Amino acid sequence: MIAAADLTVQRPRTLKQALQLLRDASAENQPLTPMAGGTDLFVTLNMGQRPSARYLDLWAIEKLRGVEATGKRGLVFGALATYTDCIESKAVHKRLPILVDAARQVGGVQIQNRGTLAGNIENGSPAADGVPVLMAADATVVLRSIDGERRVPLAAYYHGYRKTERRADELIVAVEVEVPDGTQRFDKVGTRAAQAISKVVMAAVGHRLAFGSVAPTVVRARALEAYVEAGGRDVAEAQRLALEDARPIDDVRSTAEYRRRVVANLVAAWLGGLDKPPRTR
Amino acid sequence: MKKIGPPVDRVDGPLKVTGGARYAAEVPVARVAHAVLVLSTIARGRITGMDTGKAERAPGVLAVITHKNAMHLPPQPTRETRASQGDHVLQLLQDDHVLYNRQPIAIVVADTFERAQHAAHLVAVRYEAAPVDVDLLRTRTAARAPHPPYHGTVAQTLPVESRRGDVAAALAAAAVRVEEVYTIPAETHNPMEPHATIAVWHGPTHLTVYDSTQGVFEDQRKLAASLGLPRENVRVISHYIGGGFGTKGAVWSHVPLAAMAAQKVGRPVKLVLSRPQMFGPVGARPQIEQRVVIGAGRDGVLAAIRHEGRSSVSQFDQFCEHFTAPTRALYKCPNLDTTERVVSLDIATPCQMRAPGEVTGTFALESALDELAVKLAIDPLELRLRNYAETDPETGRPWSSKSLRQCYQTAAEKFGWSRKKPQPRSMVDGKLLVGWGMATATYPANVRPASAIATLFADGTALVRAGTQDIGTGTYTVMTQVAADALGLPVEKVRFELGDTDMPETPTSGGSCTAASVGSAVHQACLGAREKLARLGNGGGADPSVDEPFAAQLARHGMKRIEARYDAKQLETRDRYAMRAFGAQFVEVRVDPELGEVRVSRAVGAFAAGRILNAKTARSQLLGGMIWGISMALHENTVYDPKLGRIMNNDLSEYLVPVNLDIPAIDVLFVPEDDPYVNEIGVKGVGEIGITGMAAAVANAVYHATGRRIRDLPITLDKLL
Repeated sequence: MIAAADLTVQRPRTLKQALQLLRDASAENQPLTPMAGGTDLFVTLNMGQRPSARYLDLWAIEKLRGVEATGKRGLVFGALATYTDCIESKAVHKRLPILVDAARQVGGVQIQNRGTLAGNIENGSPAADGVPVLMAADATVVLRSIDGERRVPLAAYYHGYRKTERRADELIVAVEVEVPDGTQRFDKVGTRAAQAISKVVMAAVGHRLAFGSVAPTVVRARALEAYVEAGGRDVAEAQRLALEDARPIDDVRSTAEYRRRVVANLVAAWLGGLDKPPRTR
Repeated sequence: MKKIGPPVDRVDGPLKVTGGARYAAEVPVARVAHAVLVLSTIARGRITGMDTGKAERAPGVLAVITHKNAMHLPPQPTRETRASQGDHVLQLLQDDHVLYNRQPIAIVVADTFERAQHAAHLVAVRYEAAPVDVDLLRTRTAARAPHPPYHGTVAQTLPVESRRGDVAAALAAAAVRVEEVYTIPAETHNPMEPHATIAVWHGPTHLTVYDSTQGVFEDQRKLAASLGLPRENVRVISHYIGGGFGTKGAVWSHVPLAAMAAQKVGRPVKLVLSRPQMFGPVGARPQIEQRVVIGAGRDGVLAAIRHEGRSSVSQFDQFCEHFTAPTRALYKCPNLDTTERVVSLDIATPCQMRAPGEVTGTFALESALDELAVKLAIDPLELRLRNYAETDPETGRPWSSKSLRQCYQTAAEKFGWSRKKPQPRSMVDGKLLVGWGMATATYPANVRPASAIATLFADGTALVRAGTQDIGTGTYTVMTQVAADALGLPVEKVRFELGDTDMPETPTSGGSCTAASVGSAVHQACLGAREKLARLGNGGGADPSVDEPFAAQLARHGMKRIEARYDAKQLETRDRYAMRAFGAQFVEVRVDPELGEVRVSRAVGAFAAGRILNAKTARSQLLGGMIWGISMALHENTVYDPKLGRIMNNDLSEYLVPVNLDIPAIDVLFVPEDDPYVNEIGVKGVGEIGITGMAAAVANAVYHATGRRIRDLPITLDKLL
């Protein structure tokens, strides 16, 4: 177990301070790990593991909080926007209702109050529930350092298992979504009805499709999307193409074979509903 | 008996919801130090080196105790010499052997919990690891007969073999035969409150322990024997317990270790297991494989049953799940063979878990009967009625009471069973497949010796004491009701105290025996006090009026109090009658055919368990049992790494139990039953019967929904696609 005395935790009040701390730490080759709600971090600490001894606690930076609606279909999630913020946001309900579905299924209420979308993205778990929704909605990750800002499509954010695009001196400051047209769908398959780590997650916005728990990272089903975009509607072919990107493994939570079958069945169900009018709330 | 039966609120409820009820770890003890266990990371081998320097130098650390510096204990019992069901072979830092994964190998004591936890992490251990064998279904180790039964003070073990008639001949001649194998993985108890112990020495020879235990007297005996103290020098107190379910029915290594640590540092020591530490060192349900062979006529009448199987046990201790016990008792069947075997593996010793044997056995038997019903195209309920045992099929004795027929009828009616379409996959709800399944529930009506003392005071109140435990079942409340009833007092005028070895001796709260055993003692002690009072006479005048308040009678005799003790034993009717509680479980599931997700959408259980002492607490027991049965059917599975022998899912994130959303509205129905033979108060116990039959009912419903028979628990999604 970890003694609190062994940990360095910086608590900046402003974004500028935070970025400066990140830059300084990075220059000294002693990077700080940004933390928001701490819902992933505390699990690992409690297991006696220590991903890092140095943390940048963002919780006090008010500016990073909340969800904002922009234009007709835009949503901007601050780096501290929580699942509860998503559940309570009228704009999210209206524009990206499947994110509300996903947020409601992340842990219990306490976790929803602390866990953030940005943290979910940066933590890089392939079993994340919110990330497939954002990826299917073509979300953009806004990274900022003391030198400036850059925007990276979420679909290009992961380089491998828990490897992300973020440099040590950068911070996710926001996640932007311009919600594309089309039917939305969210499926989380688990052994129990709630508070379960997913066996398979599928999120779809129009022709865009993302899967969780079936590859080292959350993935877009690019081959299938191209096929559907070109008018393809053959179920068997769609299932085959989905499995080009969804390459599940056997693990303690499920089997690869089961996950392949579920991916295939979810794809069939999605394809069946694709050309029906989008659901309204 | 008008105080008995009504749904009286828990008398300890206000204390529990306001934090006033002090659980073991919450008892304030001056100068208490905090201990944290270090557990082995290998599953078999030797400790070749331990670097404790860093831990010893960490802030606040008072001691790091390992096999190198632990106090030397008197010889401990072995599996051959152990005295009782709760008398486990413990790992008390006496040598360098590692016998299972997550075995206690060191204990770190510090001035605060956090510092102890930190220092425990700093202990570096080197091992010489040996190959392991942990999986019952993959092992090549041969099954063997369990060790000869011991005759302890806690429970008698049951015979591991039984024979009646000629099974081979009857099976050969049977018109229809079912032969299948059913498996159950290791399941791990996870009461809300983990194990917790505070050890306080009073000089070198007297010890007080606050422990979360199902048996203060078993605790006392085991502590005394382990540490080489006279039993009367050890006092165990356990006022509130946040669930036990069997894991707290035995004394595990951490309890004597806490006492050893307290002696080492010369201060009281508190030791609380973390949630992950509940996996490994404190028991689990064994892995079990059962084969059931049934022969029957075309009319469904049973000709023969063979029920045999093997369950996992550790290499160094004994435990056998008597999973054939329900088969010997449930149905009329002239030919029966049962055999229980064990296989020694490199695992910690398994132990009782809610309805040991009865729940695992009914999963196999009640699944097999469902398979027979399918084969014969007979309704599963009708099949059971055709084989109804009017007397105990094993002994031929009459039942002290049996209302199973009424249970079937009541539950079936409430469930709407007659509307079942027999074909699998024939009932749907949108895209979901709907399935209905049923099974029989049963649990023996156990009674063990128990004592109680009742004291009546001149102020018109009464105090009743017995050493027993309230493991969350409602003992405080129902004993208050039993006493109030016998004394003719309002419930508010009676105080019931428990959980202390200084009080009259009672059994471990296991085997659903507390209400019946302690209840009988309390009832008789209260009647005894009344009688004593009556014998004082009415000052030489007229007959003493039973209606005259105690206070007045005591005042008239110039007495402050009157006291009576009763030592309840099993009634001699035990030799003439067979005694069991029975019930019927009906379950509806909905299965997503595309995803394999199973959700229980409805469940009805009807139970006949003698007199119900409190309709509310009894319902909670039965409901909890039924919910756990759903959990057993669909979720619970302790996963071992087959190569390393490590438990891979030692927390509640990966060891799944149902959440609220998984559990539908459940109907718990009581079938009234008056049993004059079972014990003084006609109680059979409801702590365990609720879980029995449930896993089979779920599996049978899943078969009806999908046409797929799952014989290996848990019924996970991947098994249905």
